[in-house]
Amino acid sequence: MNKTNLAVLAAVVLLPFVVRPAIASEIWIFAIFGLGLNLLMGYTGLLSFGQSTFFGSAAYVAGWLLKHYGINVFVALGVGVGVGAVSAALVGYLCVQRSGIYFIMLTFALNQLFYFIAYQWTSVTGGEDGMPGITRPEFLGIDFKDPLAYYLFVSALFLFSLWIMKRIVESPLGKILQAIRENEVRAEAVGYNAPRFKLLAFVIGGAFSGLAGVLYAMLFGIVPLEAIGFVTSGNVVFATLIGGSGSLYGPIIGSFVFIWLSESVSTLWARWPLLLGLAFVIVVMFLRGGVVEAWTRFWLWQSSRQKI
Amino acid sequence: MSQLKRRDILKVGAIGAAAAGLGFPGIIRAQQKEIVILGLWDQTGAFADVGPLNDRGMRMALEERDMKVLGRPIKYVTRDGATQAGTSTRRAEEAIDGEGARFMIGPWSSGVALAVSEVAKRKKVVHFFSGGTEDISGARCHRYSFQWAASPYTAAKTVVDNFMKANPKARRWHLLVADYAFGWSVEKYIKEVGKTHGIEFVGADRHPLGEREFSNYVQKAAANRPDVVVMINFGGDAVAGAREIFNFGITPKLPLIMSWSSGVEELVQLAPEIRENLWVGTNFYYTADTPVANAFVKNYSAKFGNPPGYAPSAAYSMTRLMLAGFDKAKSAEVQDVIGALEGLEINDLLGRMRIDPATHQTLRPYFFLRCKPKSAMKHPTDLADIVATGDTPLPKEYAACKDIGSF
Amino acid sequence: MLYALMGLGLALIAGILNIPNFAHGALFAVGAYLMVSAIGAVGNFWVALLIAPLGVAILGLLIEYAGIRRLYAAGHDYQLLFTFGLSLILAEGIILIWGPVGISQLPPLLLRGGVDLGFTFYPKYRLFVMAVAGLLVVGTWLFLEKTRYGAIMRAGIENKEMVSLLGIDIHWLFTVAFALGAYLAGIAGALTAPIRGLSPGMGVDMLGIAFVVVALGGMGNILGAIAAGLLIGVAQAVVAAYWTEASTAVIYLVMAAVLVVRPQGLFGIR
Repeated sequence: MNKTNLAVLAAVVLLPFVVRPAIASEIWIFAIFGLGLNLLMGYTGLLSFGQSTFFGSAAYVAGWLLKHYGINVFVALGVGVGVGAVSAALVGYLCVQRSGIYFIMLTFALNQLFYFIAYQWTSVTGGEDGMPGITRPEFLGIDFKDPLAYYLFVSALFLFSLWIMKRIVESPLGKILQAIRENEVRAEAVGYNAPRFKLLAFVIGGAFSGLAGVLYAMLFGIVPLEAIGFVTSGNVVFATLIGGSGSLYGPIIGSFVFIWLSESVSTLWARWPLLLGLAFVIVVMFLRGGVVEAWTRFWLWQSSRQKI
Repeated sequence: MSQLKRRDILKVGAIGAAAAGLGFPGIIRAQQKEIVILGLWDQTGAFADVGPLNDRGMRMALEERDMKVLGRPIKYVTRDGATQAGTSTRRAEEAIDGEGARFMIGPWSSGVALAVSEVAKRKKVVHFFSGGTEDISGARCHRYSFQWAASPYTAAKTVVDNFMKANPKARRWHLLVADYAFGWSVEKYIKEVGKTHGIEFVGADRHPLGEREFSNYVQKAAANRPDVVVMINFGGDAVAGAREIFNFGITPKLPLIMSWSSGVEELVQLAPEIRENLWVGTNFYYTADTPVANAFVKNYSAKFGNPPGYAPSAAYSMTRLMLAGFDKAKSAEVQDVIGALEGLEINDLLGRMRIDPATHQTLRPYFFLRCKPKSAMKHPTDLADIVATGDTPLPKEYAACKDIGSF
Repeated sequence: MLYALMGLGLALIAGILNIPNFAHGALFAVGAYLMVSAIGAVGNFWVALLIAPLGVAILGLLIEYAGIRRLYAAGHDYQLLFTFGLSLILAEGIILIWGPVGISQLPPLLLRGGVDLGFTFYPKYRLFVMAVAGLLVVGTWLFLEKTRYGAIMRAGIENKEMVSLLGIDIHWLFTVAFALGAYLAGIAGALTAPIRGLSPGMGVDMLGIAFVVVALGGMGNILGAIAAGLLIGVAQAVVAAYWTEASTAVIYLVMAAVLVVRPQGLFGIR
């Protein structure tokens, strides 16, 4: 196992000792969400500004089933992934024909549409109030209500997701997606049906988002309306950009940074979004590659110093 | 340096830094002797302006006791719920787990409160809340949450009965309702009580929380030709709505009722012309004449310039009630305090107040005001007269809280 | 009409600079707040209406010069991130300077009260805003169509390389375009202040609507943005008469529907 993966494993094991299990779980959930987005953004070059559509839809559907039909956790996960994938297929189908700014706007518009549907359908979603009362049913005697038990569950799923994503990006599919990102025309010329592959990327990304959505609903016991809102869509994009969209691990770092800022700093200063905005500006001006690039540059500078 | 090694250091370094940062709040733990009380007040979002007011009231109540109760120091922590269910529940849990808070007051939004109430039940902490949803003392009642605001039934009865006394001919009512828990509850009872007066509800439009563009709603209201327009919304929504209704000429020709207002805070934002023919129902108005209210209003006005409205007063009174619970129970254990609060009878901010043990609803008066025209105002905050108070509790047949449950 | 104004400003920026300006809503908000402060400082609504939007335009100038200028080659992801970060900074800045509480601002005495239009009673101030916004929209369009500078701008939307080959300083063009877009957003905000009241988050909803207008009208198509803005405004009013709660949702539904069928918007060129 290479060193990076070892580091990730170490993080998974050590994190609950440093922060509360609930925050630790949230970080990995957000990382799964980011991994899904990055397949689209970093690898295929598609800035999807509506990922919360899949995240939220999966959360609502799975949450509803958990609450009213008492399904078990694995069925819930399956539902989440399924809903995420299907909704992504729908949205993706409408979006992949477009590119550039049009694509971004359309994902945003469809996201808003889903948001307003969720907002209006109060009998099911609770509208503004959200959908509370989501259970964490026990399975085979494991009580997931215990924060640590749930954390183990979430982190295991995260590692699994990371492994799958790694396999995907290193596979021929991953290469094709990157080729499309680099030069779509050339990819088409070589014989790849770009829209179809983009749709596939969408569906996979949606599946990951859906998984994150279900885990989120079970973590907090509630599906808030924000889960399907554009702010959540924006958050995952920004977190991934900050971490560095050029790397498989970027979304993970981005998740850490983002959750850290929103949890810790917010208790210290109510105006913390100002710092977030500044962080964005700095990243864009100086650190396009995000934290990954910053660290790489620092390391290069260090090593070049040592040579002298 | 090899590729792998660089990325490896990178990963560990970034994670280490982030983890240390994240761990930071957790490292500050409450000391054993301290009683940690959480004020879940919004500093951002739709109720961003209410949060600081709540904080003032709560802080005043705690400082009156020198931040001590039962001889132990009180640690007062606040969290910004951002007027959102997700953020509020997350931060509440963090304060409970990380800071050891076992007593929670807030949030302000009824919708969010329903979610936070679940946290209280799950984490077994005492939760006091003031808002317009009937569910906390109704369909979603449980042993850990308490409701300070008057039942929407009490509010509706006070407003409708007394308004009809003064305006018996106003039979056609149009409602403008905030589209979430609070709006729905109050709307339900205004319609119920209205039925008994033979009122015809010619229209009821819902608007999103935080709405500022009311022209469409107002024009629709005008088209229904009502005798009176009733708003069931709060804060910025109410102010924007009242202003728009005035701009379109509906008031002062027709009366406007703000059925669940924050009182002073909303009224000062409206010009005197807009307040003509404005009738206000509120959980607290500062001219209420009780010893506790008089002292509180005096101190608050001296400190902050304006007299207090519903928001800071609710926080103040809830904190006082909770402290009274500690006193009565002679203990800071959650179950003891809850036991003490159930059935607590006390002369507090609103005069006689009692907490119903079966539903955890506070039985207390609700205020109905009529705003004064500019000429009748003796000083800048002489905004209204208390026309009546009502404290008819929710009749048993409506009570949705069948069993408050156990610990 | 306000929607047309906001859409126009955003279309200009999107068309000429080809960046998604997520800070457009925040500029709108800044315009409103500057207006209130200006009224407070100068005591005269009309003078304030003149200077507040200029303040926003200057802000836009600075933003373009110091920030956006470096990002033309950066790709949409980063432009988005930058302008979004900016919107956060501006919104939080507003809270820091003016506080989180909403502020009320009354229309000037001349424009208070309403006019009986026969079928409805309509506030004078709203009529005034419609008129001014309409004038601005027409004026901007005339500027773009009939003047030399306008022609340069339109050429810039079509083909930047050609314009710079012709010896015109393309950077100056971009700066002016951004400042103009900011001005339009700022004056929209200033005009809105007495209608909606102010709150730090007022820019967010406007941003969404501005994007809808631009997407609907066709990116970079000025006339399209104007038409789309009017269309959206009318559609919203019509829907509101029958199903008030859905009036905002309808905007996005229309946008999604149109974009699916015609990705270039109603009037755009592919």
